[in-house]
Amino acid sequence: MLWYKAWLETRSRFLISLVGMVALCSVFVLHGDRDAIYEVPADYYNYVLFAGHQILVMMWALAVTLIMMGGLLREKATGSSAFTLALPVSRTRLMVVRICMGLAQAAVLAIVPWAAMFTVGSIFGKTHSLSQAAYYLVLLLGGGLVFFAMAVLISSLISGEYTAPVVSFGAVVVTAVALSSAALRRYNPWAFMTGSEYLSKRTNVLLLPIPWLQAAIYIFLAGLLLALSIKIIQQREF
Amino acid sequence: MTQGLAIQTNRLAKSYGTVQAVKEINLSVRLHNITAFLGLNGAGKSTTIKMLLGMMRPSSGDGTILGQQISDPMESIRIRSQIAYVSENKQLYNFMTVEQMIRFTSGFYPDWCPNEAQKLLRQYRLPLDRKVKSLSKGMRTKLGLLLAFARRPELLILDEPSEGLDPVGIEELLEILVTRCSEGTTVFFSSHQIAEVERVADQICVLHAGRLVLDSSLDDLRQSYRQIDLVFPSIPAEHDFRITGVEDVRTRGHQMRVLASGNTEGVVARAHDFQATSIDVTPVGLREIFLEKVKEN
Repeated sequence: MLWYKAWLETRSRFLISLVGMVALCSVFVLHGDRDAIYEVPADYYNYVLFAGHQILVMMWALAVTLIMMGGLLREKATGSSAFTLALPVSRTRLMVVRICMGLAQAAVLAIVPWAAMFTVGSIFGKTHSLSQAAYYLVLLLGGGLVFFAMAVLISSLISGEYTAPVVSFGAVVVTAVALSSAALRRYNPWAFMTGSEYLSKRTNVLLLPIPWLQAAIYIFLAGLLLALSIKIIQQREF
Repeated sequence: MTQGLAIQTNRLAKSYGTVQAVKEINLSVRLHNITAFLGLNGAGKSTTIKMLLGMMRPSSGDGTILGQQISDPMESIRIRSQIAYVSENKQLYNFMTVEQMIRFTSGFYPDWCPNEAQKLLRQYRLPLDRKVKSLSKGMRTKLGLLLAFARRPELLILDEPSEGLDPVGIEELLEILVTRCSEGTTVFFSSHQIAEVERVADQICVLHAGRLVLDSSLDDLRQSYRQIDLVFPSIPAEHDFRITGVEDVRTRGHQMRVLASGNTEGVVARAHDFQATSIDVTPVGLREIFLEKVKEN
């Protein structure tokens, strides 16, 4: 039943985000290379995909922040936390279900728009590469999980109906800007998500191998932030 | 389980920094009784209830509900599966409809009674397809009560359950409380409506400034408390009447009003000593007793 609640709570935000992202990404791939339609060089089309990915990254970060707007502190602000906390379930379970639903939705918000870009590219005869699409997804989800976990952590620390998502989005911007210098860029999950570090300027293709280690480090960091969020909610008084 | 007790606390206390919201209270709620939990706003009633339900951690002391420790996380989950609770603000999930709220809540409790839920839905005239956010306060209260009463819990904990209800709703609520109690459910509820409390409660607990200042059965209160109105040719000093059992003494001109929780005979004898020209002993309502208990200083 907690899954049912988590779905009902987030479905509007999730579905609106999904439709918007699929539409925008598809339109971008369809028309983004219009100026070069007669020559359609492979590297130019790859650049269109890269640019489409940048739009997807921004929209994904915003959507995930909005989807993770919720939890017990927001319920405290709206007054329904007493009902939730009187249910015969642990706070850990409340958090785990919310996080898992958010993760599933975040994954769909990454995979479906990319699948749409890939499909549109295929249908309209533009060059495409499944491995490049998968590469972009690894970058998006690997780095993106850090921001996902930050949104969960902030929603576990800051009460107020809309304060946490505003602060979360601010945290995304601050992290991206603060770690944008050349020296810190390799530690920047935003730069990792966009893939700019791995893009060949000559072919506009992401260079292999896929940075699994860095993705694993970001996932581990996200796991720590999520564990910390659960701990904070366990200790919190309502 | 402690013999015959649904709720028992042992020096339960809660502090926020230097402010003591609840001061080492020893609360005993008997099984199969209706116990009213009274107090002014900010007296610590909701804080006490939140500690009982595991929403807040006590600063010191402990307690049990149905024999299980409130501060043990696993036992707290078992407690919550055995009780039904209606919170003070009656807020539910704004994003759900009435039907979704009922479906969601029913999934957590094996003792959920669909027939009872249907009966209450008809009685409260709640629209199934309406979102919770568009319900009036009274309708939200009714939905909260439905979610509690559609089960067969061992204990009902209700935080100001009549708030927002119209007179008909209040009447129905009181009727349900009495019926449920007669069927074996223990009821523990906080309220500001003394007249309602007086009609249904067996036991009265009064919390004032975090202290439990009264814990007695309503019958005992009715039997022991008396208001004694006296008239004197020459008014004596108030302290002459502050004897055992006297809770309050007030004078006005040649008249004196004494509120006694016992020893009425002693007060009457003292009045004769001071040549009282009129002595009138009358029973006292819960309202007067409550006001006396929460009187400052």
